[in-house]
Amino acid sequence: MGPLIPYDIIPFEWSSIIAIIIGLCFGFILEASGFSSSRKLAGVFYGYDFAVFKVFFTAAIVSLIGLLYMDYLGHIDISMLYIHPTYLWGAIIGGAIMGIGFIAGGFCPGTSLSAVAIGKIDAIINVLGIMVGVFIFSELYPLFEPIYNGYFYGNITLEDSLGINPYWFVFILTIVAIIMFAVTDMIRKRVKKVFY
Amino acid sequence: MVNRKLVKFLSLRYKILAFIFIVLAGGLVLLPKHEKQEGISPEKLLANTINPERYISTDALAEKMINQDPSLLLIDVRNESDYKKYTLTNAINIPLKNILDEESEPYLNQDAYDVILFSNDHFHADQAWILCTRLGYKNLHVLNGGINSWYNTIINPKMPTEDMAHTEFELYAFRKAASMYFGVAYPEKVKKATVIKPVTKPSITAAPKKVIVKKKKKKLPIEGGC
Repeated sequence: MGPLIPYDIIPFEWSSIIAIIIGLCFGFILEASGFSSSRKLAGVFYGYDFAVFKVFFTAAIVSLIGLLYMDYLGHIDISMLYIHPTYLWGAIIGGAIMGIGFIAGGFCPGTSLSAVAIGKIDAIINVLGIMVGVFIFSELYPLFEPIYNGYFYGNITLEDSLGINPYWFVFILTIVAIIMFAVTDMIRKRVKKVFY
Repeated sequence: MVNRKLVKFLSLRYKILAFIFIVLAGGLVLLPKHEKQEGISPEKLLANTINPERYISTDALAEKMINQDPSLLLIDVRNESDYKKYTLTNAINIPLKNILDEESEPYLNQDAYDVILFSNDHFHADQAWILCTRLGYKNLHVLNGGINSWYNTIINPKMPTEDMAHTEFELYAFRKAASMYFGVAYPEKVKKATVIKPVTKPSITAAPKKVIVKKKKKKLPIEGGC
């Protein structure tokens, strides 16, 4: 059956409309779970709130398990799914910069927008900062281009590069995730309570 | 009382969810593995198989070859000994049993060429076509009638009888010209060429020369008549 758009079950023209609807739902749920608070987001780094970490890790595992089951039952052709291409050093440097911005600003790009939607001033400044960063990057693009387009590894997955069975990988990842959830819970209980 | 039970149950909620997670992930590992449907869906394959668009006629192929169409890629799916005996010009040999080999994939799974598969008849070529189409390869065609048809139409075309349509004669003329392109020597043409050299030789050569002239004259009125 699916994926719906690559197999033209849903026409390609609908993709942006669907993206807007999914985006609205995503933003609403981010805000409803309290992810529009920079204190909650920064809590991951200071050890008093691991909600962000737990939510995103759980989401990744749920979708992984779900996709593999759907693929197994023939509802989804996993080989047709989009795999984000790997630009190794671009991803490492970009990830480091985003991490710094995450700690300093207390928002990741998605949550900053949902915080702007409820009128948080720090989030508005954060988004302006993102725009300044985008502007600097575009102006200096010729300088960054070799890193941006270099170290290209194609649309690889862990399955390709490590050669592991995806089912075993998901099983091990699930156990690792549950252990990490338990450990983060223990850390949270030890750290002094912070009111936010 | 009910409330207390519920509270007790809900206090375990994360443990229960974690347990469900492990069961689901473990299920993936323990599920019996089955061979997955490779390539395009059966419905698509069937639709493609019924469609006769994959066939290319020998005449169309001959025209492409004479015009030296650069996008043409001929693949002979017969076995190697047959290939060595006779094949079409510039054909590559990929025997049917090797059609799914790794070395043959670059020839079959590409966008640059129009691949034409052929065998003695078109049945083996059809089998190769189905195997490759199932894997989603594109631009594959089958020579209708295969080498047998190639021989009967291009190499040794049948002369049309007088009561046939004008187009038949045009087709015949084309096929004859094509056969000459592919190296078939017609006795009348060969003799015509030799005639120029032995001008002073005995009159035996002169006799067939007249025959050619007659043949040509015969041809003309028919063409005009239709």
